[in-house]
Amino acid sequence: MASVELKGLSKHYGAAVAVDDVSLRVEHGQLVCLLGPSGCGKTTTLRLIAGFIEPSAGEIEVGGKVLSSPSRTVPPEGRKMSMIFQSYALWPHMTVAENVAYGLKIRKLDRATIDSKLKAILSTARLEALAERYPGELSGGQQQRVSLARALVVEPETLLLDEPLSNLDANLREEMRFEIRRLHDQYRYTTVYVTHDQAEAMTTADLIAVMNKGKVEQLGPPEEIYARPRSEFVARFIGGSNVLAAKAIDDSRISVAGSVLRTIGRPLVANRPVAVSVRQHEIAIALESPPSGMENHLHGTVTRQVFLGSTRDYTVMLDDATELRVTAPPGQNIAAGQSVWLHLPAEQCRALAEE
Amino acid sequence: MTRSFDLSRPVLAAVTALLAVMIVLPVGWLLVVSLTGKDGGITLANFGALFTDPTFVDPLITTLIIACSVSAICCLVAAPLGWLVARTDMPLARTIRTLVMASLVTPPFVGAIAWEMLAAPNSGLLNQLWRIMTGMPSDEALFDIYSLGGLIFVISCYTFPYVFILVANALDRMPGELEDASSMLGAKTWQTARLITVPLALPVLLAGALVAFLQALNLFGSPAILAIPAGFHTLTTRIWSLFQFPPKPELAAAASVPLLVLTVLLLRAQAMALGRRGYAVLGGKYGAPRPIRLGWLRGPAVALALFVLAMPLFLPYAALFNSAFSRVASRIVGPETITLHNVKFTFLELSSTMPALKNTFLLAIASATLGALLALLIAYIVARKAVRGYRVLGFLATAPLAIPGIVLGVGLFLAYTRPPLALYGTLWILLIAFVTIELPAAYQQLGSAFHAVHPELEEAGRMLGATRLRTLADITAPLLRSAVIATWCFIFVATIRELSAAVILFTSETKVLSVLIFDLKESGDVGAIAVLSLTMVAITTVVIAAANRLHGRPQIRPA
Repeated sequence: MASVELKGLSKHYGAAVAVDDVSLRVEHGQLVCLLGPSGCGKTTTLRLIAGFIEPSAGEIEVGGKVLSSPSRTVPPEGRKMSMIFQSYALWPHMTVAENVAYGLKIRKLDRATIDSKLKAILSTARLEALAERYPGELSGGQQQRVSLARALVVEPETLLLDEPLSNLDANLREEMRFEIRRLHDQYRYTTVYVTHDQAEAMTTADLIAVMNKGKVEQLGPPEEIYARPRSEFVARFIGGSNVLAAKAIDDSRISVAGSVLRTIGRPLVANRPVAVSVRQHEIAIALESPPSGMENHLHGTVTRQVFLGSTRDYTVMLDDATELRVTAPPGQNIAAGQSVWLHLPAEQCRALAEE
Repeated sequence: MTRSFDLSRPVLAAVTALLAVMIVLPVGWLLVVSLTGKDGGITLANFGALFTDPTFVDPLITTLIIACSVSAICCLVAAPLGWLVARTDMPLARTIRTLVMASLVTPPFVGAIAWEMLAAPNSGLLNQLWRIMTGMPSDEALFDIYSLGGLIFVISCYTFPYVFILVANALDRMPGELEDASSMLGAKTWQTARLITVPLALPVLLAGALVAFLQALNLFGSPAILAIPAGFHTLTTRIWSLFQFPPKPELAAAASVPLLVLTVLLLRAQAMALGRRGYAVLGGKYGAPRPIRLGWLRGPAVALALFVLAMPLFLPYAALFNSAFSRVASRIVGPETITLHNVKFTFLELSSTMPALKNTFLLAIASATLGALLALLIAYIVARKAVRGYRVLGFLATAPLAIPGIVLGVGLFLAYTRPPLALYGTLWILLIAFVTIELPAAYQQLGSAFHAVHPELEEAGRMLGATRLRTLADITAPLLRSAVIATWCFIFVATIRELSAAVILFTSETKVLSVLIFDLKESGDVGAIAVLSLTMVAITTVVIAAANRLHGRPQIRPA
């Protein structure tokens, strides 16, 4: 069983910290996404797992064996891993078949075994017709599939993917997301997947690790990351949320633009500043004022309204000039300049961890 | 990278030591000897002599006049020609571009010899033709190639192609949109050319001017052939003359220093000029520029281009073939006077031909192999940052660019005429010289080849279980094969035609082809000179053609 475990992993380049004390456990057969903006340390983490670089501190264990530590690092070729590169890294001087069979030849398998494995993987990746082509003669999506086939044919214990879809156009990217997940479910290797695209992470991952400035900000299943962001960074990065800066009144209420909002999440400390996230489509927008004294209602003015087909996107300015985005049903048409009331249900107002 | 393959320190130490021996030793000795007086103490007397003695000051001034004139002429010829080829609908543009490149195959000293055959005051073919046409007496001459003007002309003939290539390539890459934008704002074709195209090309032209200047500054062959009979010296020929009997190496060393300093400064200036090229002519995917319609000027334009090409190409080769196949070099050969006598004489009777050819091939093959391997190793280390301190290697490998051939010759002479490595008089010293001279270009070629091989291609091999060495053999080597072959051919060709360092370092046992041709000048055997020159050009052409054919083969398309 090849679980992958990072223990207090750090990587410094001089004074710059690329990866800062990252601990993470990936069970056998799980698919984990490292998600974050460029420069957050996700690619460095992946290259540490691959063995291309040595950690400055911490350890990497695979299947209970230490593969990387500051004193000893097993080279990439000794790790029984496969990797999909951002550039695909197909060797231009070899045909599709030669590219895919390379890892089998390195493993010194006999001719017949190589042939049968090659045939099977080419058929799984729908590449049989292209076997004798050179990579330069393939489209982007075909190159991607060759890259996948080459990585999978050696039956790795661990598969690493470095932004594998960033060079594809939008349609193909969506198709390949499901393809990657399908192959993962079929072969059940442990997978670490690096991306900056949250939709990609949501559709493929069992677990998402949101990274920022070399640290893991939040680790959890996609639903949890989406519904219950723990920090302002995660709330903003995952998108679709409003983050309100406010002051706590007591352990579960805050004051925003003259109104009181009840919140969930961590308990608050009175008079301390707090950030609260509310998803755009959880906010209800109405022309009528609520009964006075009702909590979780805010007054504002519509400053912009955009029709998006399946929804209508509002920008509402509160009385204290804070702007909120609201996603409403398309049938509800309120013109810009109108005075409106917003209802932010208490169970959707999530107090975030302090930065 | 990983610890399991830690040959890095010994490799770095070995390569650095080798480069130091190749570069630091000769330049160091050059400086030491130039600062040493007759009594062995430190002195500036050698430099004092340099700047007061008219036999040094005059060549310095002459050299500067030549370099400035050559530089100006090259720009005046190459810029319009480059523009005609790259930006207009001139007929035969592709052919003319190829022919200009082809004129670079001619070693400059061979060109100078050919122009002697054409325009020496008495025997020159052009002067004879002129006398026949005008009936002038035999002591009158239209051209005198043995003059400052003649020398400037001949150097320009073989220098302007460098400027031409720079300008034409820059104009090729200049995005057409930049000109289209000007047209959209109402500028006429010629206004756009004047206001947009020319200013954008200016930095490249400046860099070209500096290239021409450097070339003229450090050239040895042409001045040795044309200036010495005319009774004047340039810096390079003066340095060479200090090695004639009685040798004065300390003065030669001192005279080399200004050449070295000037070259370093000019290279810096050139890098600055080209460094600003970025905004001007580096384009990604822009539209192809629209050629300018010349209208009735198309005919005159192509005539002008062919006339220019007659100077380095058509006329000299006509003269060389004439001399090679005629019993008397100064007669124009006809169907009944054509003879193979010179060819037979050169290859069967002339005792120095075969040893020189043998030495030349031996050195060319050894230099090309050694140079390509060394450049490959350094390029790998630098491109993959394989060891700490890789930048030092990159710098050392580029440094010889700043050392003129004749200066390196002097430096190597000083370094290896004494123990522990008394290599003077052996082929080894020539080998060191040739490898050193060609290393920068070879390193740059292979360096850019490595940059074209994405590091992920190697990493993909490692991930699939191949060791670093296995990855190099399976993936990197095949991808670089054509680049390495091209570099090998490049060094081979450059070694065959090298004269300026060889002329300082050869002895009677280690004569090479270029030195043999130069030496035969003394005995005046024009027929043999022509045959040997054509042989050299033929070998060069064959090797370049082979390199070009091989280069196109494996597909290195980014996947």
